[in-house]
Amino acid sequence: MMSSHELYIFVLALMVWLAIPRASAAQPAAGGHADQPPTSTVEYPSFHLSGFADVNFAAQKATDGARGFTEGQFALHIVSALSPRVNFFGELSFSPRADAGTGTPSATGYNAEVERAIIRFDRSDQLKVSFGRYHTPVNWWNTAYHHGQWLQTTVSRPEMIQFGGRFLPVHFIGALVEGSVPASGWNVGYQGGVGNGRGNVISRGGDAGDNNARPAWLMNVFTKPDRAYGLQVGTSLYFDRVSVTGRPEFNERIIAAHAVWQREDPEVIAEIANVHHEQVGGSVTASNLAYYVQVAYRLPMASRLWKPYYRFEHIDVESTDPVFTGVPELDASTVGVRYDISTYAAIKSEFRGRRRIAGQPFTKGWFLQIAFTF
Amino acid sequence: MIRLLIRAAAPTLLLSLSFVLVLAVPLGGQSSSDVAVVTNADVPVDNLTLYEVRRLVLGDRDFWTPGVRVTLVLNAPGAHERDVILKTVCRMTEAQFRQHWIAKMFRADTLIRPRIVDTTDMVVDLTGRTPGAVAFVDASKVGKNVKVLKVDGLVPGERGYPLH
Repeated sequence: MMSSHELYIFVLALMVWLAIPRASAAQPAAGGHADQPPTSTVEYPSFHLSGFADVNFAAQKATDGARGFTEGQFALHIVSALSPRVNFFGELSFSPRADAGTGTPSATGYNAEVERAIIRFDRSDQLKVSFGRYHTPVNWWNTAYHHGQWLQTTVSRPEMIQFGGRFLPVHFIGALVEGSVPASGWNVGYQGGVGNGRGNVISRGGDAGDNNARPAWLMNVFTKPDRAYGLQVGTSLYFDRVSVTGRPEFNERIIAAHAVWQREDPEVIAEIANVHHEQVGGSVTASNLAYYVQVAYRLPMASRLWKPYYRFEHIDVESTDPVFTGVPELDASTVGVRYDISTYAAIKSEFRGRRRIAGQPFTKGWFLQIAFTF
Repeated sequence: MIRLLIRAAAPTLLLSLSFVLVLAVPLGGQSSSDVAVVTNADVPVDNLTLYEVRRLVLGDRDFWTPGVRVTLVLNAPGAHERDVILKTVCRMTEAQFRQHWIAKMFRADTLIRPRIVDTTDMVVDLTGRTPGAVAFVDASKVGKNVKVLKVDGLVPGERGYPLH
């Protein structure tokens, strides 16, 4: 019987083996090296750089967050084909720091972060194997919009998958196998991964190594049926062991599901996630739930540059969960409108009402964002 | 009296008829023909469903077979062929289509973005030279060095052909 560590090593070895091209599959056409197309005009490595940025304005109480103008994240996206089958994807972000210039040595003005760095080996549509740092594919929003604020309809992300948030693991460092099969028009996609789960600070991935002997495992299955063009429905599973220095260890199990209608007439995004914690060798268990539903509609004809939207979100955290100590509960409504100034730039304006404790009044704020890609 | 009325109405009727005829005949240079799906001769496929065409155009299919990667060749914005594909296959506006591809690349869903070519002759030429290439051209301008695929079992010009 294999131990979990041996199984981990075996799965990784299998992924590496799958990534190595087979002679028959790697031959793009008659003649030439298996990794080089015979008559392609593409030179390797190719390099393509694009980016996203945003400028924000907030009117809210100082206790609720930043006010006035704020510089958003400056994100750079790199795509490089190393050969017809081997690709590199990178995403770098630069985020302004509120403590810039303080401390010794002085804090810099921006935090630089490698958000994604992925090398992928494409064998076919059914099988692609990659290694690196990902946005955890346990949540649809997290892998649909990444750090491209312009891509998302709203100013803000749902709080359950907020950058720096703790409810769901935003980053994952490891290996991923993915693919899709037509399945008689159901177009079933899958992703399976193994790697370092949450780090000592649970909002971060284990970039510098796993902090325990248990790897994180994930599985994600979804369908995009031909006959319901625009619809995607899927579910995800995630298992990890959470180790925080000086505290008991907990096994974490996340079950999530999403249903998305991606066409804009209307656009509907609904996600739900249950995060279950169970103390290792103890009796403490806790179950936490979060969900959101977002509806938007791009107006027809001459008004098509306008896209009003509404989102309701809810986070329910068990007060006895030691892993989520300090993670706030939430009932929130967001209503706003997006106006596409051009094909590559948009202005979004939204009101948010949030309630952290049942029975307490909503806190309110107005937010404006100019987001664009370049 | 009746003859007088007919004489008076005849020029008006003739003029109206001539207007109808002029408007009914397509203007020279304006294309209303079917749009053919053409590929490099090496592509091991002869027929696609309209759904499969959509998956190709939206970058949801990267490979014809494990050995042959799809290269999408598209006409520049404004071309009749591009308009037909966006409207009939993708049901998107030009802006939505561009935004779709930016998102697609950003998600690392696909590696190769569509190659945009200015003229139909260049589309046909590039498709003929690039392994795995697929493109859309006016059925009357298909060259010799590319293969025309059936769509839903129909060739361009057949009754019920969906791309026009």
